[in-house]
Amino acid sequence: MGKTILVVDDSASVRQVVSIALKGAGYDVIQGSDGKDALKQLDGRRIHLIISDVNMPNMDGITFVAEAKKLPAYKFTPIIMLTTESQEEKKKQAQAAGAKAWVTKPFQPEQMLAAVSKLIAP
Amino acid sequence: MAELLWALGALAVGLGAGFVAGRRRPAPPAEVRPADGHIASVTRLAGSLAPVWSAQIDSSRTQMESAVSRLTEQFAGIVENLDTVLASSAGALEDGHGGTFDRSRSRLGEVVGTLDDALATKRQTVAELRNLQTLNTELRQMSGEVGAIAAQTNLLALNASIEAARIGEAGAAFGVVADEVRQLADHSLGTSERMAEKVGRAGATISAILGHAEETADREDRAVAGANAEVQAVLDDLQALVNGVRDSSGDLERAAVGIRSEVSQSLTNLQFQDRICQVLEHLRDSVTRFAETVAEAGERARADAPPIDPDEALAAISASYTMDEEREAHTSGRAAGVRESEITFF
Repeated sequence: MGKTILVVDDSASVRQVVSIALKGAGYDVIQGSDGKDALKQLDGRRIHLIISDVNMPNMDGITFVAEAKKLPAYKFTPIIMLTTESQEEKKKQAQAAGAKAWVTKPFQPEQMLAAVSKLIAP
Repeated sequence: MAELLWALGALAVGLGAGFVAGRRRPAPPAEVRPADGHIASVTRLAGSLAPVWSAQIDSSRTQMESAVSRLTEQFAGIVENLDTVLASSAGALEDGHGGTFDRSRSRLGEVVGTLDDALATKRQTVAELRNLQTLNTELRQMSGEVGAIAAQTNLLALNASIEAARIGEAGAAFGVVADEVRQLADHSLGTSERMAEKVGRAGATISAILGHAEETADREDRAVAGANAEVQAVLDDLQALVNGVRDSSGDLERAAVGIRSEVSQSLTNLQFQDRICQVLEHLRDSVTRFAETVAEAGERARADAPPIDPDEALAAISASYTMDEEREAHTSGRAAGVRESEITFF
């Protein structure tokens, strides 16, 4: 049983790319299509890491991170922001909300796996 | 398009004229100016075109997103299938064909080993029968020797009887003894002859058993040797088969790994869709904003208010961008390349 990672992105293709890279490295993956949907996935199940987009409909990634951090079970769950966004201001907002890393798209699977393994052991 | 450019030019001229006029002298309040018609026309055109362009952009974006999503799902399905095939192939080699072959070889080896043991026991029995035959031969020789001794004793006893008779009265008792000895010698001779006959029959039986045992042992030797050769040939064939399957499986596995890697890379390249969608969304918003700006410019021209600030409008559009290449293209007016991914840890 591998560690479980929640991947949140409104782009189905990005979710698939990330999922395949993670599954290939032995992680279990669950998906959310936006911040609101992802919050529903946080129903007490054990999630070791979250990878979230920033610009999404219904609930953006930074709001989602802030909301997730309010839940005791996920207070210390590391979160990586995976986004096309490059504004420093947004990075600061994500950091303030509780994100641990910021990865810009388009990413290479090896880069993503390196970032993941820095935050949780495989 | 030429009409639109003409109208936009007229609007610019009108706005410029209005701006210059607004700075130099107040406009006549209720006068209908020639530019007003152009401004109204351009404003209406922009207001009508903006939703059309937005719809076209949205339509393109939606179609691309939908197509790329399907493509991605199919690629993901291929990768999952390949993973399943790879796992199944590795399992089959480790626990299936290879394991079955090893188990078969071990069990066949045990069967042949049992036959070898039985054959060794038989060879030992044959060796013991040969020993028995040798002993029997010795017994026959010994019984012959006993017969010879009895015959010699008989002859000696006869001589003794003759000598006893020649002595007369004094040798009578000795003659009796000599007769008794001769009878014993006869008896011994008879016993030794019967013994020789029994030993001979026993020897013949032993020889018959030995001959049969040797014949069957030879036959079993050849049968076991043949079985060994057959088993080895079958094992060699099976080994060749397993090696062939393993080689083919290895080739398939390498091909599957290569395909998986290429499909994964293709999936990675499909990330362009996410970026293009965002650019198109921003472009759609900009078109809407442009129509609003044109309308506002018209309003201002009609009200003789100061014209809109193009730099301000452009800055507002630029502020809505999320990607560096959007900003770069906005500033340079040329297509911008995609930036390398960056990772920042907080």
